[in-house]
Amino acid sequence: MIKIGLEIHCQLTNLESKLLCTCKADYRGFGTNENICPVCMGLPGSLPRLNREAVKNAMMIAMALNCTVPEKIAFFRKNYFYPDLPKNFQITQLNIYGPTSVGGPGYVMLGKKKIGLLRIQLEEDPGRIIYEGTSKNMVTLVDYNRAGTPLVEIVTEPDFESPRQIREFVNILSDLFENLGVADPSLEGAMRADANISIHGGKRVEIKNIGSFHDLEKAAHFEITRQESLHSRDMEIAQETRHWDDQRKITTSSRSKEEALDYRYFLEGDIPWVRVEQDLMDELRSEMPESISSKRGRYVSELGVPDQVADVLSSDKFYSDLFEKSQTGSNAKEIANLITTDLMGLVDTREKRTASKVTATHLRDLADSILAGRISRSSAKDALYEMVKSGKDLDQVVSEMDLGNVSDESEIEKVVLAVVAKEPLAVEQAREDPKALNYLVGKVMKITRGKADPQITMSLVKKAINV
Amino acid sequence: MNLRISALEYAEGVQNGSISAEDFVAGTLEHIAKVDEKIHAFLSVYDGAVDRARDIDKKIRSGEKVGACCGMPISVKDNICIRGEKTTCASKMLEDYVSPYDATVISRLRDEDAVFVGKVNMDEFAMGLTTEFSAFGPSYNPWDTSLTPGGSSGGSAASVSAFECVASLGSDTGGSVRNPASFCSVVGYKPTYGLVSRYGLISYANSIEQIGPLARTVKDTAFLLDVIAGPDPHDNTTVKGGGRYLPGIESGIEGKKIGIVSEMTGEGTDPAVASATSDAISRLEGLGATCETVSLDMVKYSVAAYYTITATEAGSNLARYDNLRYGYDLGVEGYEFNSYVEKARSRFGPEVIRRMILGGFVPSAGHAGRYFLKALKIKSKLAREVGGAFEKFDLLLSPTVPMLPFEIGAKIDDPVSLFLVDINTVTANLTGRPAISVPFAVSGKRPIGMQLMADSMCDAELLQAAFALEQTVRLPEVPL
Amino acid sequence: MVTEDEIRHVSGLMRIKIDDYKEYIDKVNAMIAYFDILDSAGVESEEVSFHEMSVSDLRKDSHIPFDGSLIDQLKHYKGAYVRAPKMSR
Repeated sequence: MIKIGLEIHCQLTNLESKLLCTCKADYRGFGTNENICPVCMGLPGSLPRLNREAVKNAMMIAMALNCTVPEKIAFFRKNYFYPDLPKNFQITQLNIYGPTSVGGPGYVMLGKKKIGLLRIQLEEDPGRIIYEGTSKNMVTLVDYNRAGTPLVEIVTEPDFESPRQIREFVNILSDLFENLGVADPSLEGAMRADANISIHGGKRVEIKNIGSFHDLEKAAHFEITRQESLHSRDMEIAQETRHWDDQRKITTSSRSKEEALDYRYFLEGDIPWVRVEQDLMDELRSEMPESISSKRGRYVSELGVPDQVADVLSSDKFYSDLFEKSQTGSNAKEIANLITTDLMGLVDTREKRTASKVTATHLRDLADSILAGRISRSSAKDALYEMVKSGKDLDQVVSEMDLGNVSDESEIEKVVLAVVAKEPLAVEQAREDPKALNYLVGKVMKITRGKADPQITMSLVKKAINV
Repeated sequence: MNLRISALEYAEGVQNGSISAEDFVAGTLEHIAKVDEKIHAFLSVYDGAVDRARDIDKKIRSGEKVGACCGMPISVKDNICIRGEKTTCASKMLEDYVSPYDATVISRLRDEDAVFVGKVNMDEFAMGLTTEFSAFGPSYNPWDTSLTPGGSSGGSAASVSAFECVASLGSDTGGSVRNPASFCSVVGYKPTYGLVSRYGLISYANSIEQIGPLARTVKDTAFLLDVIAGPDPHDNTTVKGGGRYLPGIESGIEGKKIGIVSEMTGEGTDPAVASATSDAISRLEGLGATCETVSLDMVKYSVAAYYTITATEAGSNLARYDNLRYGYDLGVEGYEFNSYVEKARSRFGPEVIRRMILGGFVPSAGHAGRYFLKALKIKSKLAREVGGAFEKFDLLLSPTVPMLPFEIGAKIDDPVSLFLVDINTVTANLTGRPAISVPFAVSGKRPIGMQLMADSMCDAELLQAAFALEQTVRLPEVPL
Repeated sequence: MVTEDEIRHVSGLMRIKIDDYKEYIDKVNAMIAYFDILDSAGVESEEVSFHEMSVSDLRKDSHIPFDGSLIDQLKHYKGAYVRAPKMSR
C-alpha cells in the first residue's frame, strides 16, 4: 500500500511584478542580481507591498480547484535562517486564526479517484543558491533575482497511490494553470514539488527539491522502489528528509543535522488582513476562463466533435483558443481534425509554437475549402505546413504550391484512362467488388498528388470500366 | 544669529527676508560643533547642509517658489533612511551601512525644502528609553547633563532642546518620541497608526510603531505633521482620511470632555509629577473642558503585553542582519553558514541580545499560547476599553512619564524597573491611538510633560487640545 | 524559570553566540517573570483583532525596476553574486 502527499509550488509567471515589490515576476533573462530592489533584498526599512493581481490569480486557482475562499486573507512570517532568504523569514500563509489562506479544502478528480487538497497558499519564492568550484573549495553564491516571485503552494492530502496518479494530477494542474492564464508550466523551475511517501503504513519520508513535474513522477517511483527494497529485506525505513538529485535521478539522505525546527509563525504586521468582498468574488467568477471539463462537454454536445478529439483539444489552451476563434459551427469538426491530426504534429514544441504564424483565419479558410471540395485533405496538410512557416494566406499558398483540386474532367479522364490501361488486374477485381474501385481512385490521386476532385474521379473510373 | 526660534518663526523669517537660510543653517552647524560634545545628540553631521540652504536663499532671491520648510535644519533619528547616508540604528551591526533609498518622510520633507543637518542618537535599534543602549555612547539631557534625555529618540529630543536643529524626526514604538520629549521639555508626537508612512523606518516592532515629529511648539508639530502625513503606496498600513493639522489649531477645547486615566496617575507617580498633573487638570477646566476620572483595567497588563509583542516582532525584524548582503567587513571564508551568522551577529549590544532571546522564547512552539497569544488578546481588549472610553471622552490625560528624568546609569541594570517607565505611553501604541507629550512644568532642572491621547484619526482635535494646554504654561529656558 | 539550556537553545535559534550564558539568565528571567502577570488578565475568551484593507487598495501589478544598480551598493562577489559562507548540505 502506497500513500503519497504532495506540496506543489507554482510560480505565477504571467504576472508583471513580484509578490511584494515591483521587480519583474519572471526573473528569467536577467543578469545576476539585476532584478532586485530594496524590498526583495529585505534592506533595512523596506516594506512589502502586496500585488493585487497575485492575490486574484491565487484566488482563481483556489476556485478552479474547488477550494473555499475565506472572507479575509492573512499573511504570516515563517522564521528561519537561510542565505537565499533576504529577510531570514518567508512571507507565507497559514490558518492559525481561522481560515485565512487563499484556498481552503478542495479536491481534484482523477477519473473516479478523488485527490483531497488541504489548502492553497500564496507566498514569496526565495533566491537561488549556486555552488561553484570543487567540493573541497566550494563557494556558495546567491542570486536574488527570483527572491519574491509569487508562488502558489498547493498542499494535497496523502491520497496518491501510484506515480501514475501523480502524473495524471500534475497534467491536470499544468493544463489548469495554462487555461487560467496564470502561469507557463513549461518554464524551467516554474513548477516544483515536495513529496511525502510511505508504504505499508510505515514511516513517512519527505522528498524535497524536485525541480519539475517530470522529475516528480520519477522521484516518487525511485523512492517507492527504494522503500520496497528495504521492506522486502525487513530493513527499517527511517523517517527522514531526502533530497532529489536531479543529475543522478535518485533521492539521497540529507545528512545535515536536523535542527529542531521552530518557525515561530506569527502575523506579518506590514500587510493588513485583506478583505475578500463579494464584488470581487463575482468579478473573478465572471472573469474566470471556462474550465477544461466544461469546454470538453461543449465541444462534444454543441459542436459535434468526437469525444477523444474534444479531450485533446480542450486540455490545451493554445489549441482550444485557436479552435474557438476559427470555428463557425458547421466547420467545427473539420477544424478540430485539422488541429489534432495535423497542426499538433507541426508545432510540437514550445519554440515551434512561438514561431508558428498560423492564425484562426488560416484554419477557417482551410476547413471551409476542404468542406467545399476545393482542396483535398492531403493538400490541406501541405498548405498548413506552409501557413505555419510563412503565414501566407490560403489563396497564395494554393496558387504558389499548385495545391488546388483539379476538377477539369478531361484532364482527370486522361489520368484515369492511363491508370485503367496499366492496371488490368485491378480493373478485373473492381468490376466484381466495388470496394476495389478505391484502389484505382487512389492511383489517380497519387499521380495528381491528391489534387483530383475525388467525386469526379470516382465517377470517371466507374465510367471507364463500365460499372 | 538667534537659533532659539520656532520652525514657523524660522519659515516666516526666511520668506520675509529677515532670516537667511544659509546663515541660519551655518549657525546651527557651528552651534552643533560647540555644544554636541556635551550633549552627544548627533551620530553624523552633514556639513553639506549649508550648500542646500544657500540654494534655498538663491531660489528666494530669484523669486522662485520654495517649499514650506524653507531650508529649516532638521535632525533625523538614525533609524530613518536617507539615501547615500549612513543609517546605523546606533548599532555596531550597521556601523557602515549606507542606505540606497530615502524613507518616504525624508522625500516629503525634501520636497518641501527641508535641510537635514545630521542623524541623531538613539537606543540601539530603538530598544530602550534612555539612549544609554546606543552602541556609540549615551546622549545627555541639555537641562542637566547628568540626566538621561530619555529614549529611544533621545538624540532627537536633545537636539531640539539644545537648539541644534529646529525640529527632529523620531520613532515611537512604546513612547520613544514622547518619553524623551517629556524629559527634554519639547513637544513629541505619536500619530494614529498608519497616518505616517513607515517606509524607510528600520523596523523594531512594526505593528505598533510610528514616525513622529519632535519640535519646540505644538504648532511646529502640526506643521511637520502636515508635511509628512498621508497615505503612501510604499506602506500598505498607511490609511486614508487624514486632514490638515495646522489650520484650525487655535479652535480651543471649550466643552470637551477629558478622562483622567486612574491607572496612569495613581501609585508609583512621583509627587512632583502628580502635582503637575493636578495643575494641568485645573488649567484645562479653566479653558472650559470638563475632567473626570476613567479606569482602563487592561493598562495594568499593557507593559507585559507590549514587551512580549515587541520582542517577538524584533526577533523576526532583526533576523535579516546576517551580514551577507550588507553590514560590516567580515569575510565569509572559513565559516560554515550558521557559525558565520552567529559570529557576525555577536556585534549586537546586550539589550538587543536580551530582547532577541525573549523574542525567540515568547512566540516559540511551547510558549506562544502562554505569552504571545495572550499578549495579543490583551492588546485587543485594551483597544476595546480605550474605544469605550472615547465614546464618553474626547481626550485622555496623564503625565507622559510617571517619574522625573533620572540620572544616567540609574536604571540601566534593572530591566524590569525600566519597563515601568513605559506604563503611560504604551497604551497609545498598542491601540493605534494618537498621543502627544506637551512640556508642562520643570521641577528643579527636571522637565515634566503632560500626555494627551485622542481616538484614532482625531489627530487634528488632539493637536488643538495640546495647543490650548501649551498656551497656559510659561517655562524657563533650557540652562544651556 | 528559564534554564541555561533554554537560553542556549533560544540563542541558537536566533543565531546569536553568547560567551557567558549566565550573564543573561538573571535579566531574562526577571523579564519573563514579569510577563507572568499576563496570566492574571483573564483574557482567554478575547478575540484577537487586526488591521484590514480591501483588495482594491492593493498595489497594481506593474513592473518598475529599481533606479540604478542596487547590487553595486551592496556586498558583492565577482561583480554580481552575493557570497554566502559554506552550507552544510
